[in-house]
Amino acid sequence: MIKSILLVDDENLFHLVFEDACSLLDITLDLRSITSSDAAAKLFAEWQNDPKGKPECVFVDLNIIGSSFDGIELIKKINYEYGNGVVVGIISSSADQAEIEKSKLAGSQFWIIKSDDIEPRLELFKNDYAGYKNRTNEFKVYR
Amino acid sequence: MKLTKEIEDSFIALLEDRGVQLEGNILKLIKTDNPEFKKYIDNAKEADAKARRDRLAITKQVQSQMQDLELKKTQLEEKAVENEDLLKNLEEALEAAEGAKKAAIDDLDLLQKKTQFELIGNIVNVALWVIMAVGVTTTVLYVVALFLNGNGPDTTLIGNTWSNLLGILLTNSFSIIGTIMGVKYASETTPKKPGESV
Repeated sequence: MIKSILLVDDENLFHLVFEDACSLLDITLDLRSITSSDAAAKLFAEWQNDPKGKPECVFVDLNIIGSSFDGIELIKKINYEYGNGVVVGIISSSADQAEIEKSKLAGSQFWIIKSDDIEPRLELFKNDYAGYKNRTNEFKVYR
Repeated sequence: MKLTKEIEDSFIALLEDRGVQLEGNILKLIKTDNPEFKKYIDNAKEADAKARRDRLAITKQVQSQMQDLELKKTQLEEKAVENEDLLKNLEEALEAAEGAKKAAIDDLDLLQKKTQFELIGNIVNVALWVIMAVGVTTTVLYVVALFLNGNGPDTTLIGNTWSNLLGILLTNSFSIIGTIMGVKYASETTPKKPGESV
């Protein structure tokens, strides 16, 4: 089970879907959801000084409406500005190959495609999680 | 996490008395050796999972409906833009048609004026020829009378008549020319100034 997860997604309805799916699949007991990449960046800046409450894994939406930068930019900031130390990847309805490549370059470890049937992908991710945590897994797209 | 027997019994009693039980992720953290409380936890977990499954199904349905609505909204917005473009094209076509109509009216007006002018020219020609013919005929008659009767009373009468007739023809000629000029200026359309009344 993942110790703690942070979900960054502008769609509140998806927060509910993700929370229920994580609970049903026993993925985590500690899930925090926020709607803006700016708020996430602020939290990571704070966690640089005091890592208390820092999540173990971060799921970031690609296009975060109402934020000043997108998910790929947030991943770049987490990896190169805020000290990394988390498993981080994209969860998006997009399957744009160019964006997938960009996220990989930014340091994303996975890309999960959102759809009505998200649970099987989350289950696969849960099974692969140990590899992401010890950095032995290659970048993977969950279609 | 382990609870005391007393607390476990309180939770069981709470469920029996008021139908209220623990729910959520806390259930996954509670451990017990009490078979009765274990059953309680298992039932609560099952109820919680069912509630989550139901909520998940409903949330997904709402999410799907929201996506459909969003798609329809986008389609409507695109349609509105298309309609706006169509309206713009129609307005341009209408403007072009108005321009063509104005040009056609101007051409027709010019043609009418040209026809009118030619008609007036013909009338002037005929009138002037009639006047000249009458003048020449009367003069010839007067000359013939002068040669045949000399200075007789008839010749004097014809002379007076000739001079009256020439005066009348001259007056009529000017009258015709005046009328023609009047018709010409009256048929000309000058643009009205704003606020000018008829």
